[in-house]
Amino acid sequence: MVMNRSVLLTLAAVGFLYPVCAQEAPGRIDLNDPNLVIVEASVIPIPLEIFSSLDKLGTQDWSKHVDEREIRLDANRSRTAMLFGLVVSDGFIAVQAQDKEAVRRVGREVLRLASSLGVASSVEQHANAIVNGAGQGDWPVVRKELDKTRQTVLNKMTELRDDELVALVSLGGWLGGTQALAGVLKQNYSVEGSDLLNQPDLVKQLKKEFNTLPARAKRGKSFTQISQTLDHLESLMRADASGAISQGKVIEISLSTKNLVDSIYEI
Amino acid sequence: MRFERPHSVLVLVLLCGFAGVRGQEVVDRKPSLDELKLVAQQAAIPHLGGGNPFILRESTWSGAVEPGKARLIQVQLFKRNDYHFWIAMPDRKAAVNLNLYNGKGELLEAKNLSYETPNVTSLVASPSETGVYYLRVSLQTTVEETQPWTVIYAYR
Repeated sequence: MVMNRSVLLTLAAVGFLYPVCAQEAPGRIDLNDPNLVIVEASVIPIPLEIFSSLDKLGTQDWSKHVDEREIRLDANRSRTAMLFGLVVSDGFIAVQAQDKEAVRRVGREVLRLASSLGVASSVEQHANAIVNGAGQGDWPVVRKELDKTRQTVLNKMTELRDDELVALVSLGGWLGGTQALAGVLKQNYSVEGSDLLNQPDLVKQLKKEFNTLPARAKRGKSFTQISQTLDHLESLMRADASGAISQGKVIEISLSTKNLVDSIYEI
Repeated sequence: MRFERPHSVLVLVLLCGFAGVRGQEVVDRKPSLDELKLVAQQAAIPHLGGGNPFILRESTWSGAVEPGKARLIQVQLFKRNDYHFWIAMPDRKAAVNLNLYNGKGELLEAKNLSYETPNVTSLVASPSETGVYYLRVSLQTTVEETQPWTVIYAYR
């Protein structure tokens, strides 16, 4: 076969990516096939991932959804883990609103909560980068550091065999993001935007992880509410045949998530 | 040559250029998942800048797959976003495929990108609906040994 040598050399020198046709793969898979191996680890979308989609439909007023609650800690580490997830999601909302002071506050709270969870040293540099990045209005850096903070804490807890806390940090993060999303959609409902709340499988997964936690990780009044709220959300967060979630359901999702978040903040 | 510390891996990977996967050529032991993540991240770098960059998540999935077998990763994707998934395996001869299926198990159209060696590949998709999807990781029979893998992703 004769090929142009210069083309080959160029390709070899650049050695880079090029689009290719999809490799052979079954056109359909039976998701009920017991032989399928599904990876157990779950990755929960961060709020910014969802907000990114919503913002493509038009500018939203995220500033109204930046939370400024006082965080009072107690000895309940499970609650602290949920709060950690909630505060990180507050950070993402503050980034979306480009609220420097709120992001700085999140940076400080993240460190305080990480100290309480015994992982401060792993988080310190990220928390400082969040505070500094906010001061400079460097939102891409803040966004990246928030995600790193979250992941660092999850990794550290896995390393320390605090698996139940890992699940609760993820749950808290998802809950905070969902509350903000439902809040925005409640104020500015659109059929198109409502589809972002179509997450029944994700809720099911979070519920499964929560329900398998040992009883010692679910002590406290807000924890009795979590299972019920997730049950409720699983039915609400399911799009109808047109792919939308009704305004009534959006209001209910907003209310349910807000009530649960309130109960987690309360001592 | 062995990699003694993660930062020496990073230096070597960066020295090897932006899109190659030559960092693995000097590994004479099984790389850790962190090292595989670095290889996948290196492939991602060109897509994280420019006019419409992808935003890389810190989270990863990882596991191991036997030649001729597949694994499924459940992911929640959102309409109007583009997603880019990268996978890396240690053996340069390992030919890995990535495909995306919807919640009904139907194969979706996506753009596959290949790199210098077949043990790194990526997939770009733009879901038409918000919902659950399945990323299928499959290993061809170009190698005999089970391969560990790491998947990273980005959105925009």
